[in-house]
Amino acid sequence: MRDTAQAYRKLKANPYLPWSARITSITELTDTEKLFEFRLIDDDVRDAFDFDAGQFVELSIFGVGEAPISISSAPSKQGFIELCVRDSGDVTGALHAMHCGDIVGLRGPFGRGFPFDEMKGHDVLLVAGGLGIAPLKSLINHIHDERHSFGKVTILYGSRNPGEVLFRRQFDMWRHREDFELIMTVDHPDETWDGEVGLVTGLFGRIEVDSQRTYGAICGPPVMYRYVIDEMRKKQMDVDRIYVSFERRMKCGIGKCGHCGVGHQYACVDGPVFNYWEAMNLQEAI
Amino acid sequence: MEKDRIAELIRGLSTDFEVIGPVAKGDDFVFASIADPEDLRLDYDTTLLPAKKYFLPPSEELMSFSVTDGEASATAVPAGRRVLFGLHSCDLNALMLMDNVFLGGYEDPYYRSRRESTLIVGIGCTPSGTCFCNAWGTDEVHWGFDIFLTDLEDRYFVSVRSVEGAELLDSHVETRAINDADTADYQRVIRAFKASFTQQLDTAQLPLLLDAKFDDPVWEELGERCLSCGACSMVCPTCYCFDVKDRLSPDGTEGSRVRSWDSCQFSEFAEVAHGHNFRGSRPSRVKYRYYHKQWGYLSKFERVLCVGCARCERACKAGIDPRTVIAALQSGGDE
Repeated sequence: MRDTAQAYRKLKANPYLPWSARITSITELTDTEKLFEFRLIDDDVRDAFDFDAGQFVELSIFGVGEAPISISSAPSKQGFIELCVRDSGDVTGALHAMHCGDIVGLRGPFGRGFPFDEMKGHDVLLVAGGLGIAPLKSLINHIHDERHSFGKVTILYGSRNPGEVLFRRQFDMWRHREDFELIMTVDHPDETWDGEVGLVTGLFGRIEVDSQRTYGAICGPPVMYRYVIDEMRKKQMDVDRIYVSFERRMKCGIGKCGHCGVGHQYACVDGPVFNYWEAMNLQEAI
Repeated sequence: MEKDRIAELIRGLSTDFEVIGPVAKGDDFVFASIADPEDLRLDYDTTLLPAKKYFLPPSEELMSFSVTDGEASATAVPAGRRVLFGLHSCDLNALMLMDNVFLGGYEDPYYRSRRESTLIVGIGCTPSGTCFCNAWGTDEVHWGFDIFLTDLEDRYFVSVRSVEGAELLDSHVETRAINDADTADYQRVIRAFKASFTQQLDTAQLPLLLDAKFDDPVWEELGERCLSCGACSMVCPTCYCFDVKDRLSPDGTEGSRVRSWDSCQFSEFAEVAHGHNFRGSRPSRVKYRYYHKQWGYLSKFERVLCVGCARCERACKAGIDPRTVIAALQSGGDE
């Protein structure tokens, strides 16, 4: 048996040093997003790599740099890490040019994720906009894998157009499931689209929320938060049961480099997941 | 310790350590390696750059890597031992504030290594007229040094805080135990020092005022003047933000990952990949620097991230400095 304490020390010894990981699968999701699956090569490190939904890793392409990417797979999926990555910068562009079997660097997991255990026994309302589905996907899958521990689960997911809908195949398979209420909407439909049309906030009229037992989880573009939170508050949801995940510029991921400052906190160590009570007390957060 | 023993102490230290201390450079002072004890200027007021450069260098290689293998190995910090000789209490306090960041939470192995291989000799100072360490209590220092010297005119009152400090003294210089006259002189010097501050800064309830006046027009005015040059951060003994970049060998097969000083005043500091900039305006950046120093850091460590050294005031070409910013926040509420 492996010594887990030793493996953990190995993982933490130099928090700047990435661990080699092999790309084990690449799935094209849209024109600009791919889902990458990685396997950490070092056995000890792979075993010690425990994370919560909502946490992120720093992805290294040596010679290009690092980028913080939230983990899309569920903690219940062990041995592999999935990252849903948009081709939007130097590092993500370089990753998009890579192939199965190629080696990258990963370090983490970092940050504070969603309070999964606290959410157990409750209803959960998840609202995603665009690429915001990537971190929520980890939570959605984790809830899926422990579905018996949760009450009603509702997912509202908005995209600009059908071509940008992420994880569409999986969500299509879930459409007829009675244990997930999944409503997808796009701003600009085309002939392939048979879902809703309009902003994600427009979907709130269609759902019932038991304010006494519902946790919220929101991730999307910066402009989205205020409006979705307004809708959740109209449904009488508690400020400290609405969770948001923030994207900020990051370099170190460990509370040192200063780039991810949000109000008086750092998104990398104090977040990226905050509850709304915390977020409303962070200047310029929402 | 007799004052004329300093040169002897420096020479002694130089056999085992690189001795670094304040030296004159033009009209200013800088911390530099001391080749000749005569160069040491313990009467300096302040230095252009603080001592943070010895713990968080302006540019530092974190690791080297092979692009072809996708493997990285951490870069070792140079092994030599150093003595920083002649740090004022503001700079000693600043190092302890940096320690909270780099030794707390995820420990930074590079900073840790430099910190452990460096001994520190502090020295009392004379307020420069602009500095305001008295506002934060950083005019006193109780730990964070191995030895601290207080000038009693013909001799130094020596405080020893570590075994290493005691050993240094024992092996290199003659000292004697203090007597009542030494203590009385020490008290006299400290009283005179405390009375010599010309700046009295009102620091009451700054975190609350920063929130209450978050939309105050003063930030627009300051932002209009700010040049976003980042000089304030570079000269600040407590500004620790850094950028990380990869450098490649000419053939592109190997390279290194390097961190270098950064500033929240630079326009791209908070910009994310697809172009959204969380602090795209100068007023928002000027405000953030104060917000973080007076409230963000305080919310974690119960201390403000300023030691009142006033280096930023000397460095700023736009006339923005903590004293005027804080005075602006305190304005209002008069009868």
